[in-house]
Amino acid sequence: MARAMCCQGCRAAAEWIEQLGLAHYYALRTQPAKKPEADAEPASHDDWQSDNARHVVRNLGEGLRESLWLVEGVRCTGCVWLVERSLGAMPGVVSVQVNAVAQRIRITWRDANTSLPQLLRALARTGYRALPQDARGLDDLRRRESRDALKRLLVAGFGAMQAMMYATAIYLGAAATLDASTRDLLRWLGLLVATPVVLYSARPFFAGAWRSLAARRMGMDVPVALGIAAVYSASIIEAVRGSGEVYFDSVSMFVFFLLAGRYLEMRARHRARDLTDALARLTPPFADRQRDDGTWHRVGIAELRVGDRVRVSEGGIVPADGILLTERCRVDEALLSGESAPVIKRRDDLLIAGSVLEDGPVLLRIERVGANTTLAGIAALVGRAAAAKPRLQLAGEMAAGRFVTRVLALTAITAVAWAIVDPSRAFSAAVAVLVISCPCAFALAVPAALTRALAALARQGVLVVKPDAVQALAECTHALFDKTGTLTEVTLSPDVQTFKGVSRDEALRLAATLARESRHPVARAIAAAHAGMQGATVTAVTTQSGLGISATVDGRALRLGRADFAAGKLPAREYEDAVLLADDAGPIAAFRMTERLRADAGAAVDALRAQGVKILIASGDAPSKVASIAARLNIDTWRARVLPKDKLAWVDELRAGGARVLAIGDGVNDAPVLAGADVAIALAEGAELTQASGDIVLKGGRLGNIACAREVAQRTLAIVRQNHRWALFYNLSAVPLAALGLVPPWLAALGMSVSSLGVILNALRIGRAAASPASRPQVPAEPSQRAAAA
Amino acid sequence: MNILLLLIPLSLLFLAGAVWLFFWAVDDGQFDDLETPGLLPLDDSDRPGKPPQ
Repeated sequence: MARAMCCQGCRAAAEWIEQLGLAHYYALRTQPAKKPEADAEPASHDDWQSDNARHVVRNLGEGLRESLWLVEGVRCTGCVWLVERSLGAMPGVVSVQVNAVAQRIRITWRDANTSLPQLLRALARTGYRALPQDARGLDDLRRRESRDALKRLLVAGFGAMQAMMYATAIYLGAAATLDASTRDLLRWLGLLVATPVVLYSARPFFAGAWRSLAARRMGMDVPVALGIAAVYSASIIEAVRGSGEVYFDSVSMFVFFLLAGRYLEMRARHRARDLTDALARLTPPFADRQRDDGTWHRVGIAELRVGDRVRVSEGGIVPADGILLTERCRVDEALLSGESAPVIKRRDDLLIAGSVLEDGPVLLRIERVGANTTLAGIAALVGRAAAAKPRLQLAGEMAAGRFVTRVLALTAITAVAWAIVDPSRAFSAAVAVLVISCPCAFALAVPAALTRALAALARQGVLVVKPDAVQALAECTHALFDKTGTLTEVTLSPDVQTFKGVSRDEALRLAATLARESRHPVARAIAAAHAGMQGATVTAVTTQSGLGISATVDGRALRLGRADFAAGKLPAREYEDAVLLADDAGPIAAFRMTERLRADAGAAVDALRAQGVKILIASGDAPSKVASIAARLNIDTWRARVLPKDKLAWVDELRAGGARVLAIGDGVNDAPVLAGADVAIALAEGAELTQASGDIVLKGGRLGNIACAREVAQRTLAIVRQNHRWALFYNLSAVPLAALGLVPPWLAALGMSVSSLGVILNALRIGRAAASPASRPQVPAEPSQRAAAA
Repeated sequence: MNILLLLIPLSLLFLAGAVWLFFWAVDDGQFDDLETPGLLPLDDSDRPGKPPQ
């Protein structure tokens, strides 16, 4: 395998993969793999033995076990292939299903041949970390929902095809000689195939309408259900009377198109939900519990008991409801309150399971565990948030709802008018109006476009967590970049300046021990440079966003961070851009960071600027460094030495001036800014916390895709507007003709189908031209291209 | 037109069969993941990997 390797370790890994007969991974993958993170305290796979595993494994009987894992690092189909192959080859494994979007594996195995820890170890050897999920997730609601929807859609589709076939025979036969008995037979057959469509496939509309009426609201479902019921029963009456026209074909197709729209919308919603699920990590599977002798060990969440002392690190998720034992901390309880601003908690306050710790680590005494925690409530809240429809869609549905109500009124007017002029034609004219007016086109306009946009964006490595973000992204006028870790990549420069005769190694060791406790890009760069002290007792750790971190290591109070934070007062101007390590006696060492501009940062900024977006930089770093980066990117508006709250204030200031702000960030420092902007993009390598507050997650740190994503978003909005105009145009021209009784039933059915298809085909244009060079991975031959060539 | 009396029941029978087959496929989980299986035909190595030790 002739390929440049970064180190001997990678070469060994690549050779191992090849030895296993899995080299095909390199051909299939469309993205380079994620760099494995140095895991300070890797979860031992033996943790999953016996008791721990009980709640994550489902017993299928006959020695079969099933489990659902959330896998970190599955990025593309190459990963899927590798995981499926390596796990599938294990003895005793019955089936492996990998879903790359949801980052989930569903695995079934025979208990006699293998065990959960063995499987996890095998997966870990291929480089993926798996978190077994609660076994209750196995029969999740979502799977049932999507299967049900697919079945209903198919019954409607088959029914519509058959009904159309019989109807065509009637339409064609009406011109030629079709004897009355054959015509009646075909009508009854139409009734036969349309009945399951109305009674089975259309049930969600009736159920929804009933719910709306029970709540005394007028939803989209009410007029739709009314329309279906009216056309269906009118057709039955006509079939029984043996006169007039029947519309079994139209009603089936009507249901089919509406269900198609719902199905698309559901897929988009599930996709978004999959992403939030993967990011939010609601239940951390392990907690660090303190033994009686003061040492720490990892236990499964299910093992926690009331009264246990548990440690949560910065950016971590509180595992169970508990009382805070540390002095103070900030937590993000967005899941509970919807309030994105972090809440300050003091000693003896209650921390809620599922909330995210913004600074830390902290100590907790567990108060409530398992089903008693507030987590059940949170899960329900998250479910509700995920079910919330994007604004764009709500507006579309409102328009469709209003439209259908008007059509119903128009139908009534038509019936009354014809009753006066020519009573014999009143019924058929009224039904024709109902059939030809097509709310499907309105109802499909948004979901079709949005689904297509989300898929097109996901292909470029841009994952939209909140569908609302598409609209906001298209409309943004200002892009606020964070510098460190976003525009640039940070590494520790090798020359370390030490004071008072401390050795370089000693200084690095102390600094790395402290840096381990934070997820800031700079801290991570320092932590990566040295393993730190093993077995040191680190207490009283506090992280101050934008400033630094302080802790007591083996009884010695240490601070690491900005010079003025670490050493009290700024020692000299020359340390302005350095990271200082200091204790109470004064500075110990000064570290310098080397920053490298991300490869595509320049192109990304230029592309955004070409679209008319104003580019800004806000950084906590020293002015001289920010200025040099800004100059290289031709950015004239930047602010340096700003704390998170100043960044947020800047965002608010811009927004007050009428700007729509896109914030792009990475790292703990950005969370409030990302939450405060109109739309936020988080780099996937960033801390979990940032991902949780980002609306869009950019995979692989490819900044160049932001401009492409914005183009796709703008195109989506344009297509939605076109679709609405088209639906309006069609209906305005067709409905009056139907009301005058000029439209035969076959034309009504045709018009309705064509208007819906027009909307869907128009939506398919999204993302066609959007494939940019940046979105194309540098893989010699892509599988899909090869397939196309073959 | 007598042939209709044979053909129409036959078509309905096929329809019922198709619906049954599809329902079975959905319940079997064949539509749960629409992306990953699309790659399988591209994999031209029939040799499954040796089990990791």
